[in-house]
Amino acid sequence: MPQQSLADSDCIVIMGSNMAENHPVGFRFVMKAKERGATIIHIDPRFSRTSAMADLHVPIRAGSDLAFLGGLINYALSSDRWESVPFFREFVQSYTNGPTIIGDTFKDTEDLAGMFSGYDPESGAYESSTWAYDEGHLDPEMTDPRCAFQIIKRHFSRYTPEMVEQVCGVPQELFEQVAEAILTSSGPDRTTAFCYAVAWTQHTTGTQIISCCALLQLLLGNMGRPGGGILALRGHATIQGSTDIPTLYHLLPGYISMPMVDAGHLDLQSFMDAIQQPKGWWHNAPKYIVSFLKAWYGDAATGENDYCFDYVPKISGDYSFAAMMPMMKDGTIKGLFCMGMNPAVGGQNSKLIREGLANLDWMVMRDPYEIETAAFWHDSPEVRSGEVRPEDIKTEIFFLPPAVTPEKDGSYTNTQRLVQWHEKAVDPPEDCRSEPWFMYHLGRRLKALYADEETPQARQLQVLTWDYDTEGIYDDPRLEQVIEEINGYTVRDRKLVSGFAELKDDGSTACGCWIYSGIMPEPGLNLARNRKGDDAASLEWGFAWPANRRVLYNRASADPSGKPWSERKRWIWWDEEQERWTGYDVPDFPATKRPDYRPGPDAVGIDAHRGDAPFIMMPDGHGLLFAPAGLVDGPIPTHYEPWESPVTNLLYPEQVRSPVVPTFDRPDNQYHEIGDPRFPYVLTTYRLTEHHTAGGMSRFVPWLAELQPGGFAEISPELAGEFGIDNGDWVTLTTLRGEIETRALVTERLQPLTIHGRPVHQIGMPWHYGWGGMATGDIANDLSALIEDPNSRIHQAKAFTCDLSRGRLPRTNGASGDDE
Amino acid sequence: MMSEPRTGAREGAMGFLTDTTLCIGCKACEVACKQWNQLPADNFGYTGNSYDNTGDLAAETWRHVSFVEQLADDSGARPTSLNAFQSNWLMMSDVCKHCVNAGCLEACPTGAIVRTEFDTVIIQQDICNGCGYCVPACPFGVPALSPIDHKAHKCTLCYDRLRGGMEPACAKACPTDSIQFGLVEDLMERASDRVENLRGRGVDGAYIYGDRETGGTHGIDGLNAFFILTAPSETYNLPAEPELPQDKTFPSYASTILAAAAFAIGAALSLRGK
Amino acid sequence: MVIESSGFQRRWENRRARARTAGDEAKESYYGLPVIHKPHWDWWIIVYFFVGGICGAANAIATLARWHGGKEGESISRVARYLSFGMVIPSTICLILDLGRPERFLNMLRVVKLRSPMSMGTWILLSSSFFLSLLTVDQARRDGLLGQDNPLVRMLRWMPVRLIDALGVVPSLMLAGYTGVLLAATAVPLWTRNHLVMGPLFLASAFSNAAAAITLILGLRGRSVEGARHRIERLDLLAMFAEVALLVVFKRGLTRTVADPLETGQTGKLHRYGVLGAGIGLPLLLHGKSIIGRSSSGRGVSIIASALVLIGGLAFRYVMVMAGHRSADDPNATFEMTRKRD
Repeated sequence: MPQQSLADSDCIVIMGSNMAENHPVGFRFVMKAKERGATIIHIDPRFSRTSAMADLHVPIRAGSDLAFLGGLINYALSSDRWESVPFFREFVQSYTNGPTIIGDTFKDTEDLAGMFSGYDPESGAYESSTWAYDEGHLDPEMTDPRCAFQIIKRHFSRYTPEMVEQVCGVPQELFEQVAEAILTSSGPDRTTAFCYAVAWTQHTTGTQIISCCALLQLLLGNMGRPGGGILALRGHATIQGSTDIPTLYHLLPGYISMPMVDAGHLDLQSFMDAIQQPKGWWHNAPKYIVSFLKAWYGDAATGENDYCFDYVPKISGDYSFAAMMPMMKDGTIKGLFCMGMNPAVGGQNSKLIREGLANLDWMVMRDPYEIETAAFWHDSPEVRSGEVRPEDIKTEIFFLPPAVTPEKDGSYTNTQRLVQWHEKAVDPPEDCRSEPWFMYHLGRRLKALYADEETPQARQLQVLTWDYDTEGIYDDPRLEQVIEEINGYTVRDRKLVSGFAELKDDGSTACGCWIYSGIMPEPGLNLARNRKGDDAASLEWGFAWPANRRVLYNRASADPSGKPWSERKRWIWWDEEQERWTGYDVPDFPATKRPDYRPGPDAVGIDAHRGDAPFIMMPDGHGLLFAPAGLVDGPIPTHYEPWESPVTNLLYPEQVRSPVVPTFDRPDNQYHEIGDPRFPYVLTTYRLTEHHTAGGMSRFVPWLAELQPGGFAEISPELAGEFGIDNGDWVTLTTLRGEIETRALVTERLQPLTIHGRPVHQIGMPWHYGWGGMATGDIANDLSALIEDPNSRIHQAKAFTCDLSRGRLPRTNGASGDDE
Repeated sequence: MMSEPRTGAREGAMGFLTDTTLCIGCKACEVACKQWNQLPADNFGYTGNSYDNTGDLAAETWRHVSFVEQLADDSGARPTSLNAFQSNWLMMSDVCKHCVNAGCLEACPTGAIVRTEFDTVIIQQDICNGCGYCVPACPFGVPALSPIDHKAHKCTLCYDRLRGGMEPACAKACPTDSIQFGLVEDLMERASDRVENLRGRGVDGAYIYGDRETGGTHGIDGLNAFFILTAPSETYNLPAEPELPQDKTFPSYASTILAAAAFAIGAALSLRGK
Repeated sequence: MVIESSGFQRRWENRRARARTAGDEAKESYYGLPVIHKPHWDWWIIVYFFVGGICGAANAIATLARWHGGKEGESISRVARYLSFGMVIPSTICLILDLGRPERFLNMLRVVKLRSPMSMGTWILLSSSFFLSLLTVDQARRDGLLGQDNPLVRMLRWMPVRLIDALGVVPSLMLAGYTGVLLAATAVPLWTRNHLVMGPLFLASAFSNAAAAITLILGLRGRSVEGARHRIERLDLLAMFAEVALLVVFKRGLTRTVADPLETGQTGKLHRYGVLGAGIGLPLLLHGKSIIGRSSSGRGVSIIASALVLIGGLAFRYVMVMAGHRSADDPNATFEMTRKRD
């Protein structure tokens, strides 16, 4: 949902996010909603600057979010309001797969003691075929025990307020206060929004936490409506853009999966078969794939040669960030480009990462400052302690100066898929060059280097289209041409297309990223440059993919017959006179498809969806209460404890941790057992307004560094009292990965929670700090471990365990760099 | 019937309304100020004073956000239901008050400190000779001598930006409109409405700091940069009823002249030949 | 550019109580941080207060002694005048060097601001120096230092000395006392709390110091000026008694928090033993016999007592400035001064 839409919310739940601190500009819309009377709820282990602006602060145990959300689902479905307001049932019946009957091979965690059916202990993975629909069977009344609605109702029935109190440490009355606020702020004329950030994603169950929230929002009818939905607050500027046109190992542009060897994606047809769906929008996938191959390979891509599909790299395993680090240390990966990243500080188990860096043959660094990742070979905790000698490190480092933001043209795609263009103010000085310059000229030189070689690898480079014009004193590639390529054009006359609807699968169109198509509908008309705001959808401010839609699935803002659910929450509706969808936003629906449209038996693609099926990307047009495919850890969100936790799983005592978590169990990345008495405290890492991620852009800038000049850990007075720690004292934190020293910020903003009858202490520590720059401190990630969410391959850094003691580390040279 | 204005602000006076109930403590104002005015970083000491590592307004720091944690009650219990708008962790962006009658301006012996056409108070850097008398003459601890150029510095309310028709850098950067810039007259009206509104929502403690009642008292006659606070001003390190120091000048001269006369007579008498 | 701020200091070293939270530390005051800024003043201004006070008071004494004093008055006047003149240069130097930008001293002469004691002080020093210079030249002429009969001397004879003397006594008296007003017209609690007493107090101290300095010089000059010494000593005693009385009034008006820098710590000790003990108590004790016996003290006692008074005078200014700094740094002192009055 767009951030602006928050201003229309009646209740905003911020959970897994410290929005005021880390998204202060977007937070203005929360303030606006509050101004209009909305209830703001912040659910977080710490009382942060966000909590200070909330009506309700709910302290929660880090890593127990799913139990809380599950509790909300159970509370909602058992409530009088849900039963008595027809809206809820109608929304679920019409717009979700609640009525769908699930095949009887499916067994829930209720039946299998915390596991789903289809688990293969050999491979440690689920076979999702047992979760399939009983095709063609529906129960519109949603009373059949095998319909999705009843299954999830049963699944969440154990998530009672009592259980929430035991698992999350949230007293029942407080939980009920939250649940009531959300419930009364949902309905035909009211909407509740959820905001989350990386404190949901960075868990071994991160994807499921978000799914659970989506499930709750579907049940409450808060999807596709103004002021409703889920706002995924991205980690930093244009991270959204770098997943759209990804820097990720497992995606191609536009959320098309990377071809995989194991899945047999060895030719174009088998690849397209895997992506294309008979029904729904993904039926169009071949058009996007072929157009994209035409954009990459140009004239060389023909129907005869599978549009050069052979040249697209295929992946054969986990090459996520966490997986790459041990590969570097073990010598599998020998070279690294590190651009806009500081893994020596920001990566989990950062000591292992530094050891990995030290074992590379070469590394190319582009950064304005000599950040820790560039400096590790001559200055690091290991070098300072004498454990490592610079002369023993063989890595050859190429440290290159980049242009900074005002020195280059470019775009940001923010959290709500909004692309905003920015222009260069000055040329970068001396040897500093923009990323486009670097990538373009690197590619150009590589092409020249391999121009005469007759190997398949060389051919891969030779066929690549790499022909942008250059401009300016440094020969920067013309970004307008890059945008044109992303937007798409017809191959014959290079005429720009006006949107992805014009893309074809016959090689007549080229498009770099289908979801961005339409961003430049005519030469020179870059819609991301638009800057005209208004009080509604602000359609003329930037360009929001897809097709400039602001609220996704906004067909759901109207009832099945196409009328707004209420006057107060009008957004998109069916205009009978004009025979088309209209409203404040661009309809996320075929513009002239009638609400009462019913597909014929042979209809394919989007035409196979009914006129009241708003979720056009889903195979059947319905929101998923039950996800029969797509997630590797189960079709229904389920609470598992973080990989490291001081308590066992009260909801599923037999299955404490998720059974499918990818681990990196090795001597230099050891994990703590559940309830390990040596590591009794929950540690959660976080960020501060004053710094940017691993500090490369803030700890080296005096104006920012002075605002939070040194590392610290936030500790409750209750825990501090046990150790005789006073505000400002030094403390030492320890895990099996490492130990660090830092200042204690003893603060009432943290408090112990009662979990299953005993107190659990939580410690918070910002992970910005390193030894470099002006704001220094020990590295929080020296404590964390490499461990991932099985779906997104995102690490877990928001909940692990540690030990605490008072005093400093004995060190030869005082590696923290902070003077006494 | 016209009620008496809340301050003695002159017609057309420009100023700040800093509404702490909207402040999220992001310190964008501090950074924007330092960037626009090219002020150096001046402190790299971690304080442990909650999130305030700035500490104070200084020659190189013209905006300063203070942080006060007020969470646990006597039994140690933390609140869950909070007051509408900022509560329990108070944050306030402090700045030069641009007093209607300014102590620093009156104290300045060189005429370096002047009142501008916007009714703001600035220190002309080409005139200041660093006597430092404005420093203790400010009841709010705003001006300070720079250890770099040894002249007095303080917020100019971005006089250069105002001349160019722009709002001050801090107000421009503030993401939640906690810092608002405009005509003092308008801002005061807005502030009064806001306080009334807040009180209506149960924030009984909300009040304006910087009128004749509080902050702009005893000869100061109001602050052109004023605040909406929700706790006693002293919580934010602001004096409740400051005085204009120069109101003491003439009485003190008078007592000194009387004493001088007495001494002259006494001296004459004691020096008189026998 | 990175610099260390002079004002605000990190302060975790002093933490003692265990499990004290950041919230606890902001309860009594805002982390104990000052509300107001203290001035940068140290030795230059302290010495200026001292020599400037002597300069002003000595010139006033010179004038008064000449008007009322006959032959002995003449010798007091002569010493006082030269002493006063001798203090003009160091006063001005101290005042200039105290500036952050001494080369811009002349900017002080751009404006006359009656409500700014700093501005007035400059003009007071300037005008009193002007009159003093003329009077000193006249004194030199009369002492034959300029020769007996030359055009300069002949011209100087025409100078309206009595008028100049009368005019000069006003800025001189103000020079002796305005420094108290300079401190009083600030936000520093210790200085401003009893602002009406500050000027008279500094004036009394200046008179006492000037008289002591004259006594000292006369004492060192030997027995020939014994009579004059006794007279000026009388003035010194008078000034000292006045100073004691004013100090009592001054301190009685202070609250405990505001007075704290005068009671505790280094400034407290110096105040007690230096200012009150060595500077006032001991000289009075030394003069005790003569006070009771309504007679005059011996030369040796006189010299020692005068020296002590001068040391005490310097200490008084040191204490007032430095205790003022501590007072400015104490947020509770400021809060006490600015608390809501209903």
